[in-house]
Amino acid sequence: MIFKCKNCGGNVVYSPEHKQMHCPYCDSQESQERAMEECDKSFCPNCGGEITVEEHTSALQCKYCDHYIILNDRVEGEYLPKKIIPFKLSKEMVKKSLRERFKKATFAPTDFLSEVRLNSMVGEYVPFFMYDYDVNCTYNAEGIKVRTWTTGDVQHTETSYYDVIRDMNINYRDIPVDASVKMPDNVMDLLEPYNYGEFVEFKPEYMSGFTAEKYNMESDTVEFRASDKMAASASSILRSSVNGYSRLNERNKNFSIRNKVNNYNLLPTWKYLYTYNDKLYPFYVNGQTGKIVGSVPVSKTKVLAYGATLFVLLNVILIAGSYIITSLGII
Amino acid sequence: MEYDVKKEARKQYFAYFKIWFILAAVLLVVAIGFFVKSNMNKAEGRTNHSAPEQRVYDNADVLTDQEEADLEAYIALAEEHIRCDLVLVTISTPVEGPEIEGMGYRYTDWDRNMRDLADDFYDENGFGYNASFEGDGALLLDNWYEGQAGTWLSTSGRVYEEMGTIEINECLDDVYRYIESNPYQAYKEYVDYIANLLSPKKNMLAFMALIPGCLFISLVVALIFIAVKLHNKEGKVTVVPSTYTDGSAVYNVREDRFIRNHVSSRRIPRNTSSGGGGGGSHSRGGSHRSSSGASHGGGGRRR
Repeated sequence: MIFKCKNCGGNVVYSPEHKQMHCPYCDSQESQERAMEECDKSFCPNCGGEITVEEHTSALQCKYCDHYIILNDRVEGEYLPKKIIPFKLSKEMVKKSLRERFKKATFAPTDFLSEVRLNSMVGEYVPFFMYDYDVNCTYNAEGIKVRTWTTGDVQHTETSYYDVIRDMNINYRDIPVDASVKMPDNVMDLLEPYNYGEFVEFKPEYMSGFTAEKYNMESDTVEFRASDKMAASASSILRSSVNGYSRLNERNKNFSIRNKVNNYNLLPTWKYLYTYNDKLYPFYVNGQTGKIVGSVPVSKTKVLAYGATLFVLLNVILIAGSYIITSLGII
Repeated sequence: MEYDVKKEARKQYFAYFKIWFILAAVLLVVAIGFFVKSNMNKAEGRTNHSAPEQRVYDNADVLTDQEEADLEAYIALAEEHIRCDLVLVTISTPVEGPEIEGMGYRYTDWDRNMRDLADDFYDENGFGYNASFEGDGALLLDNWYEGQAGTWLSTSGRVYEEMGTIEINECLDDVYRYIESNPYQAYKEYVDYIANLLSPKKNMLAFMALIPGCLFISLVVALIFIAVKLHNKEGKVTVVPSTYTDGSAVYNVREDRFIRNHVSSRRIPRNTSSGGGGGGSHSRGGSHRSSSGASHGGGGRRR
């Protein structure tokens, strides 16, 4: 489907700045109507230009007419997401924050923050499975406390042994795991957390203006990542309830999931794929909170040039300074 | 307009090091100025031509004629090197006590009268390498009068600036090491001490000694700069254990049950130690004006 403007026929997109549908052609708000529901995944339903639809793509932009096409069969039925966090940051806002964040990256290649390169950024909704767990945790350990004190010339050491027992119920909501093969898991983890207060019921309108994927990994395949996150969190919380011991010998720790729910949701990310010396440096930005994840490429020429310049200039300054100071007879 | 990466890179580079370039250029110009000035001074030569040629006034007659001549030559060499006049005066005159009545002294004590004698002799003869008033130079006044023997060192101009109480005492120590056994050697010590202290080579040596340090500091700073700039993490973890919990944990059991304890004891070996220290303080006297109005520094002591 394509969202067309009732007033001018242009492509209406979701605008993070206006927080509603906006027609960039005639500046109308909420003027959209669904059109061109069918798409054969080879040609743009709007202009007929050739389009490349990858296996899991659910929304894309036609490179000829710039219209955003949403593939109905990939956002409906089993692929209908339950909830979505709409983009809160526009491309301009993200460009600004990337520039701010990396302005001190002196050794980054010169065009790293150039307008041309940054304009290649794409907003993409990433498919996530989110897991709710109601968990019961049991824990048992031997806790050892050591106390020392001195009377006169004699040092005393008291060692006390405790039986540490915990039985704790804790509930988790929406632990996210990305269900996309192409998204690097560690990067997606670093983009967390999203503010779930801004979840809304899914509507295809939110996808207009962005690209997206349907989930392409099964829930059973990715769930271990959610349960690992749950276990790490529960262990940490349990551990924080055990204080004051010099040493702990863990005897038993067990997490049993009493209740489990999982949902399919979409979360917004901005993707800046920067290529330098034939190597790809992907940057991902949380489309809601603006958190940036990515490693800046380093230009070896710049490292050498800047390092050498600093060395030479410092020498000139220090040696000239020493000459002046010694000439004045201060030293 | 097409984006010119090289041009932009140059622009960024110069913008980045702008202040450093300016600072380096300014210091370099000042240093070159100092260098040129010190070389010009060397070429210039003596600028005070009103002072007498004589430097050794052996009124007390403690030196032989040969020694006097040698000392004159010795001083001449030193003067050329450090560009300061070095005068030696020996006397055998009372400067305190009832004997001095009617002799025209301003004071009654040894110190101030010795000081006046030295300062006045220097001023009245118009000594000073660069000027006849407050010119660069020093005068050693050595009094051999029975019971009032002692030495006063009067400094002026650059010698005054370079010599504080510590240096004056060091110089007098050098002189006193030989004064009773070999006055000629003692006076040479005076010339040597000031010649060493004011030697232009001394500045040059101090400067040379700083160069390895400059190189080392620059290298370390440049390496730290590179290390800091290269240090970049992909991103920090911003998820905390409680991020996805719904409410806080509910404990069905939360118990720390005491089982047993035991106590062990051991004797601590003791060391005894003691320490101590001491210190001292030094002060530097101020300058004073002689009767001619010239400012002098200096100091002296009795033997």
